[in-house]
Amino acid sequence: MARGAGQSRMAMHLSRKFRALAALLCAASVAACSHSTSAPGAGASPAPAVIKIGIDLPLSGADASVGRSTLNGMLLAIAQANAKGLPGKFKLETMQLDDAVQGVHSPEQGVSNVKTMIADPSVLAMLGPYNSNVASAEIPVTNGAGLAQISPSAVSDGLTLGADAATLRRDNPAQNAFFRVCTTDSRQGSAAAAFALKFGWKKAYIIDDDETYGLDLANVFEHDFAAKGGTILGHDHIAKNTQDFKSLLTKIAATKPDLIFFGGTTSTGAGLIRQQMFDTGLGKVAFMGGDGIPDIATVAGPRADGTYYTLAAPNAQKLPSAQAFIKAYEAAYHKPIGPYSANAYAAAQVATVAIEHAIVAAKDAMPTRAQVLAQVAKTTDVRTPIGPISFDANGDVRQPVLSLYTIKNGKPVFLDQINLK
Amino acid sequence: MHEFLAQLVNGISLGGIYALIAIGYTMVYGIVELINFAHGDVYTLGSFFSLAILTALGATGELHGSVLVIDVALSLVGAAVCCGLIGVLIERLAYRRLRNAPRLAPLITAIGVSFILENVMQAWKGSAPLPFPDVLPNPTFALGPVSVSMQQLVVVALALVAMVSLQIFVSRSKTGKAMRAVAQDRQAALLMGIDVNRTIAITFLIAGVLAGIGGFVSGVYYQSTWFLNGFGAGLKAFTAAVLGGIGNLPGAMLGGFSIGIIESFATWKLGGQWSNVTVFAILVIVLIVRPSGLLGRRTQEKV
Repeated sequence: MARGAGQSRMAMHLSRKFRALAALLCAASVAACSHSTSAPGAGASPAPAVIKIGIDLPLSGADASVGRSTLNGMLLAIAQANAKGLPGKFKLETMQLDDAVQGVHSPEQGVSNVKTMIADPSVLAMLGPYNSNVASAEIPVTNGAGLAQISPSAVSDGLTLGADAATLRRDNPAQNAFFRVCTTDSRQGSAAAAFALKFGWKKAYIIDDDETYGLDLANVFEHDFAAKGGTILGHDHIAKNTQDFKSLLTKIAATKPDLIFFGGTTSTGAGLIRQQMFDTGLGKVAFMGGDGIPDIATVAGPRADGTYYTLAAPNAQKLPSAQAFIKAYEAAYHKPIGPYSANAYAAAQVATVAIEHAIVAAKDAMPTRAQVLAQVAKTTDVRTPIGPISFDANGDVRQPVLSLYTIKNGKPVFLDQINLK
Repeated sequence: MHEFLAQLVNGISLGGIYALIAIGYTMVYGIVELINFAHGDVYTLGSFFSLAILTALGATGELHGSVLVIDVALSLVGAAVCCGLIGVLIERLAYRRLRNAPRLAPLITAIGVSFILENVMQAWKGSAPLPFPDVLPNPTFALGPVSVSMQQLVVVALALVAMVSLQIFVSRSKTGKAMRAVAQDRQAALLMGIDVNRTIAITFLIAGVLAGIGGFVSGVYYQSTWFLNGFGAGLKAFTAAVLGGIGNLPGAMLGGFSIGIIESFATWKLGGQWSNVTVFAILVIVLIVRPSGLLGRRTQEKV
């Protein structure tokens, strides 16, 4: 208790200092920016001018296994764009920042990373973050700065839709700077409900982790599952950093569910819940979640078998358009692709295509962030491993495809996919 | 009724782990009046040591017969001994020089040691939760209308044995007498020829051993461990020690079991997000009514 209070006091103190520092950096970046736009005009400089793409992902800790494979997808697309050559002899570089603090993705760290990117005038677009709660902290900052932001995987509805999204864009309501190549929670929850009923699971108990992503997903699942004739036995929220779920699961076991649906990620509880289901007589009951739990076997070990999850992406292995990407990925990293590698590659493709268009529009001069943002918003049928990508006015993809997987012998097995329009 | 008993068993098992940690807080407080915030992390370190020993022995799944007994014993004793030594080392390096400093200095040092241990564990095994091999066969026994698993029996049995032997040790042995004397009046104990440094080191050793046992037990019970577990568990165990009356051994046990049971029932009746709120609300109420805790008396005998 003493420790918590001490930390928050320290954070307050730091944030005051940080604001002063940020103000200084802003002033510096304005000066630097005017300098660098005049630089390419000089023409014959031997070194190619550099455009940076910021990348913000959880690269350490519990989310690192998915964070790394996501990063690799982005780096591959950027390397390929460099190899092909950009107009105006520009070269792409990345600024990679980790938003995990002590092993868990942190919205505060995400915001601090985005401010670092904005302070560097050569950063013209950013990719990430991985998690919705981090995105919801970052969007006001990128929106205010007019920096185009493309997430491979942040699926919470409120990031692009409705009153929540309007609040996030409060600094600059006329402009949207946040885009995503994945679909949304509501579609993921709907798809999960449809799949569950298709398998004949009629009675579900819902648990969520009380975070932006998990709560949304669980609520949409609850609504759709009940609307389509399923029975909801109960809906519980769990506290952060809980280790013991046996009391909760004992209570759930008494309701005799066909299915336990979890809104959240492996690190916020899915792994431990799946494991403790076996200690409370629920080992044979199906366990289902969204795209937060593909890495559940890293925590639950052999007990992960019998877990089902949706991905807000098509199965890249099954798409003809993805074969070249998968080959290139495996050749570069000697590993199979991760759950969001293809999405990450697609997000980076959207960014590089927009940057190329912006360079052409600026007549081979260094484009501005506003020009790049305008090009990202205009994205139409960019051909990616997950299909052609076009954005609507909210920054969402126009043709969302979702897929369902299960875990067998510790490995993900593809089951089904649907196209929700 | 059946569910009530099942939740009671869950609560007692969880409480057993809290009690094992709470004893460490209460003993150290009793003897040097220091809230050793690093203690929760020593507990996590216990599960890391057990995991490392089991991995080194090649135990990955359920074990049987003599292999089971040997591996479990080595892992348990190894974790207990290592944690005991770590406890002594922490006291020697971080706290001893500050024994006569203002009270805040060792407290802040304890928080610092806690961060150091957390980061050492993160560097050692990474920051993701780790699966713990499911070594114990887990048959369930029917105790009347309620079924109790082998793991739960092991948790409770180990906790009880550890606590009873500790109680006997403190009240009967010569070292226990020395501990009580140092707790009452360090100067006088010194004048009577008691080796105060040695007595305090033994206190930290015992606290560490119990934390190590707790770490092993939690690994077996949850089949997982994580470098930050000690923060949450340590906070609850510290609460248990305060609830029971800090400085009082039976109080720490009572507090640990109470908090486990309260948490379990709160999750059952109010939902998981209310369990922590309920625990701390009850703590506040108890402290208003009985500021020295459930069993805390205003006597000078503290261990």
